[in-house]
Amino acid sequence: MDNLGLQVERVTKRFGSGDTEVVAVRDVSLVVNPGEVVLIMGPSGSGKTTLLLMLGALLKPTEGSITLDGLELSAMSERKLPDVRLRHFGFIFQDFNLLSALNVLDNVAFPAELTGVSRRTAREKATAVLTELGLGHRLRFPPDKLSGGEKQRVAIARALINDPTLILADEPTANLDSSHGHETMRLLREITQKRSRSVVIVSHDARIKDIADRVLWLEDGQFMKAIEMATDPICGMAVEREGAVAGVREGETYYFCAKGCRDEFLAS
Amino acid sequence: MFRLAVSNLAQNKARLLISVGGTGLALTLVLFFGAVFTGATGRLTVYIDRAGADVWVSQAGVRTMHMSASALPATATGEVKAVPGVEEAVPILYAEDMLEAGGNQFVVYVFGVPADAPMGGPWRIADGSAVIRPGETIIDHAIAARAGVSVGDRITVLGQEMKVVGLTSGASSLVSSVTFVTMDDFARVRGGGSVISFVLVKVAPGESPGAVAARIARDVDGVTVQTRGEFATQERKLINDMSADLINIMNTAGYLTGLAVVVLTVYIATIARRKEYGVLKAIGVRNRRLYQVVVLQALMSVATGFVAGLGLTLLLTIVIPQFDELLVLSLSAGAVLRVAAISTVLAGVAALLPARQIAGLEPVAIIRRR
Repeated sequence: MDNLGLQVERVTKRFGSGDTEVVAVRDVSLVVNPGEVVLIMGPSGSGKTTLLLMLGALLKPTEGSITLDGLELSAMSERKLPDVRLRHFGFIFQDFNLLSALNVLDNVAFPAELTGVSRRTAREKATAVLTELGLGHRLRFPPDKLSGGEKQRVAIARALINDPTLILADEPTANLDSSHGHETMRLLREITQKRSRSVVIVSHDARIKDIADRVLWLEDGQFMKAIEMATDPICGMAVEREGAVAGVREGETYYFCAKGCRDEFLAS
Repeated sequence: MFRLAVSNLAQNKARLLISVGGTGLALTLVLFFGAVFTGATGRLTVYIDRAGADVWVSQAGVRTMHMSASALPATATGEVKAVPGVEEAVPILYAEDMLEAGGNQFVVYVFGVPADAPMGGPWRIADGSAVIRPGETIIDHAIAARAGVSVGDRITVLGQEMKVVGLTSGASSLVSSVTFVTMDDFARVRGGGSVISFVLVKVAPGESPGAVAARIARDVDGVTVQTRGEFATQERKLINDMSADLINIMNTAGYLTGLAVVVLTVYIATIARRKEYGVLKAIGVRNRRLYQVVVLQALMSVATGFVAGLGLTLLLTIVIPQFDELLVLSLSAGAVLRVAAISTVLAGVAALLPARQIAGLEPVAIIRRR
C-alpha cells in the first residue's frame, strides 16, 4: 500500500558540468498520494518544468529516485519507458498539442488503440470520457474548430483515456481565460478524484490554487514552502489553512473562508 | 497508424496534390517511355511476326535482321524445300533503305518477294492492291500519309522510281516502316546474281516448327535455322541491348524526379508536424510506430501517384495514336509491375530522411519550446 502513488526521493537534475553546470532541480523529495491534486508553483526558471519532465519519465534525474506505484522510473531503461508513459501517465500541455489531422474522437481514442485495444473499444472509451467532459456533441469536430477551453478538455480526455495512475499538467491554463481555466481545472479535479487518480500541475496561475489539495512553491530548484489547502465545510470554498479562519469542533480543526461560515458551522 | 497517416496526407490538399501530381507525372514519364519503346520494338519485328513463316533460314551465324546481313545461295531454297516436314519454302531479299516520297525521306525495311509467293508479302492492305508487279511497290499508309502519297503515285525505293499500287496498315513505327517490291526488281538493283537473304519456311500440318528447324539445320549446310519465335526474340534482344543505356537513363531520370518529389513532400509534411510527433513520443508512442506513419504516407503518395501515372499513360496510349499512327504505344504488364515494384522501393527510400528526423526528435525539447 505504501508503494502506491508517486514517490520522489532526493531528486537532483544538473545540466552541463564544470563552470557551465546548472542545477535545475536540487534535492527535491515529494509524495503524491492516490487521488491527490498537487499544484507546483514558482517563478520562471525555478525548475518546475524540469521536475515535471522527470516525474513523467521524459528526463532522467542526475541523482535520486522516482517511483510510481512501485515502479522505479529513474532506474528503467529507455526502451521500457514509452510503454510506461503510455499506460501510467496522462500528459496535459499548455498548447493542448492535439493532432490536427484527427477529429476529437480519434485524438482521444488514439492512445487507447496504442495499448492494444480494438479500435471500436478505444472509440467507445473515448466517447464516454469526452461525454463526461461535456464534449459529446463535438466528437467529429477537427481540433481547429474548438475553443481553447474545449481543446484543453479534449487534451484532458486524451490524458485520461488509458486510466493512468498520474496525470501531469504543464501550465494547463496558460492559454485559457480565467473562467475557462478554472472551470477546466475544476472538472479535471472532479474526474480524477472520482477515479482516485493523482494529478501534479505545474503552473504560474494562482487562481487555480483552490482546486489543489496541496500547493508547493518551487524556487531555485527547491521546495520553499507547502501551502496546505482546506475546504470550507459550509460554503465549499477552497481556502489556504495558513491565514484562514479556523474553528475546532470535537477536537478537530476546520478552516473557513469567513467568520460567518465558522459561526454557522459551530452553531449547527 | 494507418488512419493517422491517411489523415495527415489528406489534411493539406495542396501538398497532397503536389506530391501525387509530381510523383504521378514522373512515373508517367517512365511508363510512357516504356510504352513507346515496347510499341516501337513490337513494330520492328512486325514482319517476322506476320510474314507467315514458321521457320527462318539465314546465312550461318546470322541470327537477326538488324545489324547483320544474310546472304544465301538461291539454291538453298530448293535444299530447304527438300527437307521432310517443309510444306513451303520462299526466298526473300531484304535491305534497309531510304524511301523518298513527297520530298521526304523515310527509313524503310525493303522486302523483295517472289510474285505469287504464298507468304512473305503484305498481310493487311488498307488501300489498293496486294499484288506487286515489276516497277511497283507497296508501302505503309502511315508513311504515305506523311509524304502525301496515294495509290498510283510514284516514289523512289532502292534508288528506283516505282509506282505505289497498295498501302498496308500496321507496318510502321516511329523509326521504320515495311516496304514491298518484287524479288526481280530487288535482285536487278543489286546487280542480279543468285543470292537471297532468307528462306521463309512453312511447316507441313502436324509438324512442329522446332523439329523441322532441327532437320533443316542438319540437312542443309551453311545456314542458321530458327523458329519464328526464336528469330523474333533474338531481334528484340538486339534492339533492347542497343537501346538499354538510353532507356535506363530516361527511366532513372523519371524515378529520380519521382523520388525527389516524394522525399520533399513527405519531409516537409514531417517537419510541419514536428511538434505533434514530439508530443506523440512524450505520451509513449515508440519511434517504430512513428516510422510506420511516415512510411505509410510515402507509400500512399507513391501508390496514388502510380495509379494516376498509370491512368494517364493508358489514356495516352489511346489518344496519341489517333493523332500520329507512327507513334505506337504498348504498355506491357511486365513494365507496369516493374515500375510498381521500383515505386515501392522509392517510397521506402523517400521515408528514410523524415524517419531520421523523427528518430532525433526529443520530446523534452518540443515540450520546453513555448
